[in-house]
Amino acid sequence: MGSSIYLAVPVMILLAVVQTAVLPRFPILGLIPQLPFLVALSRGLLRGVNEGIVWAFIGGICLDLFSVGPVGATALAFMFSIVAVIWIENAMPANRFFIPIIMAALATLIYLFVYFLLLRLLNYPSNWQLLTDLLPTALLHGALVLPVYWIMSFLEQRFRPRPVKI
Amino acid sequence: MNLNEAQRRIRWAIFIILAGTAVLLTILDRTGNMDEALNFIRDPLTVITKWTSARTDTVADALEGPRNLQAARDEIAQLQARVDALERENEELREVQGEYQQLLDLFNRTRQEPTFTRLTASVIGRDTNPSLRSIIIDKGSEDGIVVGMPVEGARGLVGQVFRTTAHSAQVVLVTDNASSIPARLGTSRATGLLRGGGLGGVVSIDWIDLKHEIAVGEVVMTSGLGGKFPQDIVIGRVIEVDRREAELFQRAIVQPAVAFDSLEIVFVITSFRPVDTEIFSSPPGG
Repeated sequence: MGSSIYLAVPVMILLAVVQTAVLPRFPILGLIPQLPFLVALSRGLLRGVNEGIVWAFIGGICLDLFSVGPVGATALAFMFSIVAVIWIENAMPANRFFIPIIMAALATLIYLFVYFLLLRLLNYPSNWQLLTDLLPTALLHGALVLPVYWIMSFLEQRFRPRPVKI
Repeated sequence: MNLNEAQRRIRWAIFIILAGTAVLLTILDRTGNMDEALNFIRDPLTVITKWTSARTDTVADALEGPRNLQAARDEIAQLQARVDALERENEELREVQGEYQQLLDLFNRTRQEPTFTRLTASVIGRDTNPSLRSIIIDKGSEDGIVVGMPVEGARGLVGQVFRTTAHSAQVVLVTDNASSIPARLGTSRATGLLRGGGLGGVVSIDWIDLKHEIAVGEVVMTSGLGGKFPQDIVIGRVIEVDRREAELFQRAIVQPAVAFDSLEIVFVITSFRPVDTEIFSSPPGG
């Protein structure tokens, strides 16, 4: 996992810049997907929960640098959601198509709910209506996770081939 | 202890350490003990974001171009005109006209309110979290921006400076959940508290006295009460009135004048310093 951290920092900084400066100019059906979240989730699904947690933490901190929200809150929400879905995923049959979709939608809901709770805990004004408004984001993440997951899976196989057992 | 057990312990240790770090960062951030460190990180990121934002604008404009061109082509085909040269010329003129209109709006806004000193800033980023509504601008504390300064666009109020670094600032939009602005209606002169609805929510004015007859279409402006915003900055228009006789107050839904999704240039009102009214909420001698 050691080298993964060194890779995660520049990748997540880059994605956070893309998230704040590029993606808002190209909304999909009026929604802006959270690319660092999808990448951290895909990393977790591909490489296991340990890497998922580290990528989620770094991604969350990078995103918080561009947000008016409290620094660390996104990282916490990301980590909780990714740990939860990978735990659920372990109990499900392996599938490269449906599992990432379901997990992305579920992880998004958990992440947004945890983030919402953290905002309330920190006395940041928020109302419950916000949660229902965020449902489409979960669906969008469900749809977009596949290309992200497949690209990361391809890169994983290309640059880090699995050892062959003889 | 077998291998699986060891792995599980490592996993939990990583999670607890990182979660603890995140909680610690949150506490330090909320108590303001990390501002300098964060500004140190944010400043170079601002440079990268600004550069990326400028390139993105170019690409986005180029991508929007073909849509306009397609419309122009259809029209030109119907009119049997010369196609390519006219399309190009037409497109260039449209772009110039768009820029001219934007500058004209900005100029008119400045001329309307010459009493304020304004600093023009470009929008270089937007909040990364879907729950929050804020923008990042390319002017910061070294340009004279101070937390609390009001920010407006060509058409009306945008929000308020929430945090600054040396070369950038984060502005909470009026549509954010945390936004709470004393407002006045133009015709009825009713006052209330304008609240942002966050994502998908509506901007509304709460706590309007029932004695006022509010009409749809009334202009909403800042009232200046509370000392956080100057008076008479346009916020938007009333599009719906929620009036129930059984209740003590009524509520008005507001359509903001500013199109926040396409905001590119804003003014920071630098000559206005928010007034701290907290002292008046303390009991005498307290």
